[in-house]
Amino acid sequence: MRTIRLFPLELGRLLRSRMTWLVILLAVLSPAAGLTLYQPAYADTMLSLYLADPALAGGAAGGILFGLLTIFELDRAGRSRVDLLTDAVISPLSMALARLSALMAAAALTAGLAALAWLPASRALIGAVFTGSDYALAYLLFFGLALPLSILAAGAAYQFTRRADLSLVLFAAFAGLSFTVWADDWQLCWLNPNVWAMSDDFSNFRLFRCVAYMRLTWLAALAGLWSISYLCIRRYGKGLLGSLARCARRAYRPAIALLLLACSGAACAAQPFYDDSNPDLTAMELYELESAEQVVFLERTIQVFPDTSAGTVAGRAVYRFQNASGQPRTICFGVNPGYSLSARANGAQVSAVRSGYEESNMALWEVAIPGDQTVELELEYGGFPKDWNISSTTQGDPEISGTYLCLENQNLAPYLLNVLPGEAGYPTTVEITLPAAMTAVPFGSSDAEVTAEAEDGARTWRYTCNSLGGILYAGDYIREDIEAGGITIQFYYGRKHRAVMEAAGAADAVKAVVDYCAGHYGPLSFGAGGALKLVQSRVAGGGYATDGASLLDEADFTAANLGDAGKGAGAGEVMIHELVHQWWGLGNMFDVPEEGSPWSAEGLTVYTTYRIVKELYGEAYAQEHYADQWRREVEDYYLNFYVRHPEYLEKLPQEERLTISNSLSQVRRYCEMPLKLLRAEALVGGEEAMDQILHDLFNREIDYTYPYLTYQDFLDACGLTEEALDLG
Amino acid sequence: MQINIQNVSMTYPNGKQALKDLSLDLRSPSLVGLLGPNGAGKSTLMKLLVAALLPTDGSIRVDGTPLARAERQYKARLGYLPQDFGLFDELTAVQFLDYMAALKGLREPKEAIRNAVCAVGLEEKAHARIRTLSGGQRQRVGIAQALLGDPALLIFDEPTVGLDPEERIRFRTLFSHTAQDRLVLLSTHIIEDVQSVCDQIVVLDRGRALFAGTPAELIHTAEGHVGAFWERDAARTQQLHITARVNTAQGIRCRAVADALPPYVQPEEPSLEDAYLYLISREAV
Repeated sequence: MRTIRLFPLELGRLLRSRMTWLVILLAVLSPAAGLTLYQPAYADTMLSLYLADPALAGGAAGGILFGLLTIFELDRAGRSRVDLLTDAVISPLSMALARLSALMAAAALTAGLAALAWLPASRALIGAVFTGSDYALAYLLFFGLALPLSILAAGAAYQFTRRADLSLVLFAAFAGLSFTVWADDWQLCWLNPNVWAMSDDFSNFRLFRCVAYMRLTWLAALAGLWSISYLCIRRYGKGLLGSLARCARRAYRPAIALLLLACSGAACAAQPFYDDSNPDLTAMELYELESAEQVVFLERTIQVFPDTSAGTVAGRAVYRFQNASGQPRTICFGVNPGYSLSARANGAQVSAVRSGYEESNMALWEVAIPGDQTVELELEYGGFPKDWNISSTTQGDPEISGTYLCLENQNLAPYLLNVLPGEAGYPTTVEITLPAAMTAVPFGSSDAEVTAEAEDGARTWRYTCNSLGGILYAGDYIREDIEAGGITIQFYYGRKHRAVMEAAGAADAVKAVVDYCAGHYGPLSFGAGGALKLVQSRVAGGGYATDGASLLDEADFTAANLGDAGKGAGAGEVMIHELVHQWWGLGNMFDVPEEGSPWSAEGLTVYTTYRIVKELYGEAYAQEHYADQWRREVEDYYLNFYVRHPEYLEKLPQEERLTISNSLSQVRRYCEMPLKLLRAEALVGGEEAMDQILHDLFNREIDYTYPYLTYQDFLDACGLTEEALDLG
Repeated sequence: MQINIQNVSMTYPNGKQALKDLSLDLRSPSLVGLLGPNGAGKSTLMKLLVAALLPTDGSIRVDGTPLARAERQYKARLGYLPQDFGLFDELTAVQFLDYMAALKGLREPKEAIRNAVCAVGLEEKAHARIRTLSGGQRQRVGIAQALLGDPALLIFDEPTVGLDPEERIRFRTLFSHTAQDRLVLLSTHIIEDVQSVCDQIVVLDRGRALFAGTPAELIHTAEGHVGAFWERDAARTQQLHITARVNTAQGIRCRAVADALPPYVQPEEPSLEDAYLYLISREAV
């Protein structure tokens, strides 16, 4: 009660201090560092660039500033000897609680002010994909919660040591750990959470949950630590231990501290986000299990019920097996380690045991089936899916929300590990019930159809496929069917991205690219069956393709990327560039050349973009906006001091060296290589000859032991040497 | 209010024994002067009385209740001015007093602040930032905060340090007036302050109470032990404790205390300072 009464008083005093307002001002301004100096979210989505980075930078800087303010404030009472007066009036313990509350309130005020101050700028920079909920949560979790953690840590350091200098050293070391030794551990980096990307077009709930979990775990830990330091507040002229012994006489005080620490420890140990898969990535134990003798897979039916508000999955999978052995057998499944599982075989409960071994984001479950000739094995599974621990620094998957979900293999249903297929392969029927706004998109040649609609609008989708695994996307998608290149392109993109896609002429770009590339290089191998799904995914760090479907990473279609003049003269042309990657980059993978080589998927992609633009808008336009620009860039490149004297580049500090070398690499890939291709085009006899060479390369027989298109492959196909394409 | 200090000893963690078996009875209304040389244990006693320290032995009872058991209630009745206190420089005097009033949980803080400001004569600087105040004005803010809420017990440690003579007289009067209905404990080196206003005196030396009583009683102990002499007449001064030397036209006139005055020393009426010095010198022998 006393602390509650003291709180407004102490807050009022704190807010009369110039130092407090200086700290608040600097903390409010600190998100600016995220636009320039400190950009831990390295994805190119608009929310990564203009929300995550500023909020993270603000949180880190604000946290440090509030840590310093805490030490300053706690020390000044003793330094200025005001504590002689206050301690004679109230207990220093009550005062410590009041000071902590006041600092926390100042931190909350700062977070609120920062969020308000940056709202207009963020809104303008992020553009059409801005949403208030993402903004509020980012400022709460990335920025806001860093401040109380710092206050607790710094306050504990001071209360233990009662020395400002020592507290500063301890706090600096603790903050430093977060940026160095602990930086790659998502649970330990308390000040700078692992946020590599935020989705513009879809949701970020998994990411927010991860960060919130980490922050709250630390909040409990530091609150516990602070509570212990609170017991050590010096009283009655006693030292640390004497004060602790006296203060701990009231048992509830140490009990609260220990409870908080225990909660934190338990939360840390029982974190629900990442699995304990075998860290040996070459381990293949789950894929080398001995097959169940004389057991054959017949078919399976999967029903999945995602809870999009909780981010969980509940499912029921019915497997039918033929068991010719007449003996009970053990069937092994790889199940997402976050799921639990129960099993019934032919209507009777059977044993389902989790072995404890995890590999490749799968927990091994062993299910006993009876010796009946035909076994219908019904598995009920569900839970909060865990991600593979190797992805712990790239948080955000598997996202399950009301606007997006991606369920891959063992996340969708238990993955059968030790049963051979029958003659029909692995016939599978999948049903998934989704909120009204979501469209199910099986990643492959299957098409999902709505089979039922509930009163609340939830729809059940069904599709069939023939595989053990499978990937299912669902989201608030817009679908456009585009006839191009002799096939139907089903173009799925997020509804939130509609304005950007329309402004970039996405549908026209798809048609132009598919027509051109299919006509000149040949159809995509994964566009079989007369249809190809182009599915925009939540930011994932790249795309991939399978038979009948190809993925477009949303990061390639942001307003910022579509405005990248290096890739195209306008948004529509950058869209063309990104779609050309379906042929050069995805349809044909490129090897990673040695440093200094211009060879990459970008060179052929930029060249092809130039060719398409030339066809669409004429030679003069393409010359002006592409070839002439490449020449200018390359001329500057060859004059660059560090290109002529690379030995000096090595002498620069690492950060500067990386900045320069990345910039030079960009020119090599986006300008030098296309120019070399133009020269090659001239040397081989013109555009038609080059188109034929590229056609042949695109359709070459792939060596699956090394499936990459190399520079040497290209030179050999052209009958040229590397020197012949020298532009110097 | 009645404070019983019973057989209190205080030994610091470094082994220094600051108080030894001290017993005192203090009850209101009274203005108690606490005298003693440096290191006598005055500050330790004050810290014990404001619950900043716990005695290693003995007990302190306030109105019959052990202090440790009723610390919160006790502090609510306490006004304390330590010797080397500090203030929040960014606040004005009134803001600081408001802060202290709120800490004390006063129900009518504005009136209490107004009264305290008037009592210490700080009206003109009431709304000035503390960082702009002189040393004497800061001292007045300190005294004002102690007076807030009319506490039943006031403890002042060297309250008139930094004040000019006129202010000292004013504050003596204030302390005297304040002590009419409460207990005021005044620790000072300025005997004059004590002499003029205190009705009780406690003399501490090396952790022990040498004297506790009225100023008259203290003076009485020195009767026949104070005298004056010409320095030139003194053959040996070893047995005397010289308390003052004054240059006059006839030579240097000395004032001294001693258990037995030598023949060349003419007895004088003792002052409180003489009595105090006599007490201390006697203890030192």
